[in-house]
Amino acid sequence: MSNRRERQKRKEARLQEESKVDSQDRRARILQSAAGIVFVALAVVVVLIVVNSNSGSGGDASNLKEISQVDSLVDGVPQHGMVLGDPNAKVELIEFGDLQCPVCKTYSEEILPKVIEGQVAQGQAKIDFRNYTIIGGQSQPAGAAALAAGEQDRGWNYLELFYRNQGKENSEYADDEFLTAVAKGAGVKNIAKWNEERNGSKLTGEVEATTDEAQRLGFTGTPSFAIRGPSTKGIELLGTPSSSGEVEEAIENAS
Amino acid sequence: MIAVNFPTEATLRRIIAFVAALGIGVATYITIADSGGGAPTCLAGGGGCETVANSSYSHLAGINVAVFGIVGYVALLATAFFANDLARFSGFAVALGGFGFSVYLTYLEIFKIEAICQWCIASAVLMTILFLLNATRLIGYAGTDGPASQTKLQTENS
Repeated sequence: MSNRRERQKRKEARLQEESKVDSQDRRARILQSAAGIVFVALAVVVVLIVVNSNSGSGGDASNLKEISQVDSLVDGVPQHGMVLGDPNAKVELIEFGDLQCPVCKTYSEEILPKVIEGQVAQGQAKIDFRNYTIIGGQSQPAGAAALAAGEQDRGWNYLELFYRNQGKENSEYADDEFLTAVAKGAGVKNIAKWNEERNGSKLTGEVEATTDEAQRLGFTGTPSFAIRGPSTKGIELLGTPSSSGEVEEAIENAS
Repeated sequence: MIAVNFPTEATLRRIIAFVAALGIGVATYITIADSGGGAPTCLAGGGGCETVANSSYSHLAGINVAVFGIVGYVALLATAFFANDLARFSGFAVALGGFGFSVYLTYLEIFKIEAICQWCIASAVLMTILFLLNATRLIGYAGTDGPASQTKLQTENS
């Protein structure tokens, strides 16, 4: 009887010992794996930061890109001031944007071209760009520079070319040299007139007025859109549609 | 020898669940505020939140980064409901990923966007706390269940 109890006790002790060793093995394996993923995570974060710090910042006045792409997008569509499209188009799409805003750049490159080549080129709608300067100090002079280009009916070339060569937010790239290079690239003929007008109180005041207007409408970010047409009750706010399809649908609904 | 007193695992799990729930709240607010072209409201005023929300870094593959935050916090909350090695390791891995991502986003805010959004910083702080809690949980309690404890249970029952 006592032998049996003795054997049972030894068996229990052995199982407990095995269980302890097993548990320690598991613990060691888990902690090793944890150390491994810590190493991987550290490497990923370092790589991301290095890649980002070396990425091209744009805003290079001496090397403007995509002038011909902008020309082919906008030329052939009538433009007056900052309005692109047939002045008699029934639907008016109003864009509140900031030239320094990277989301506006993405919009101008990925969402608006389809609308411009479609409903705007066909005369169904026109797009009215209005400044809503929220990014930083250079947003205001950049906005006035675009309006001054608009005075020579090159406003949309200016906008599109600026976006395609946009630099890092608030990195002070949008200086006089850059703004002038964009004006020349956008085909502004009379640079002296453009220079005078972009610094004049009429256009700088307009930038402030449209910024106030966007705030009054309740917009808190850029780009923000509003629409007006035969089927809308005055101006209707669209916010920031997430696709060309949504903008096209809004134009259809407003027609 | 210095004795290290870990909090009990139940306490750690409760704190993890609480902090993860706070994180879900913060990330959900950022996501809702950012949808439709808006931005979170900075409590002390200033345009930091708008600038960050409008920057190109606020979206990854068209998805607001705060959505990834919600997913991470929900996963962390889920791991707090289980007391096994899988939950401990998953919690640690998710919190590590979240912490690393927060470090990267904070770097972007300071050096690339040059604006600070308090809500993003709040989320980064919560994720850092969750990382520390999950690391403590893993170091303190890894290997305390599974086949070993089952064997022990069988022994006790026999």
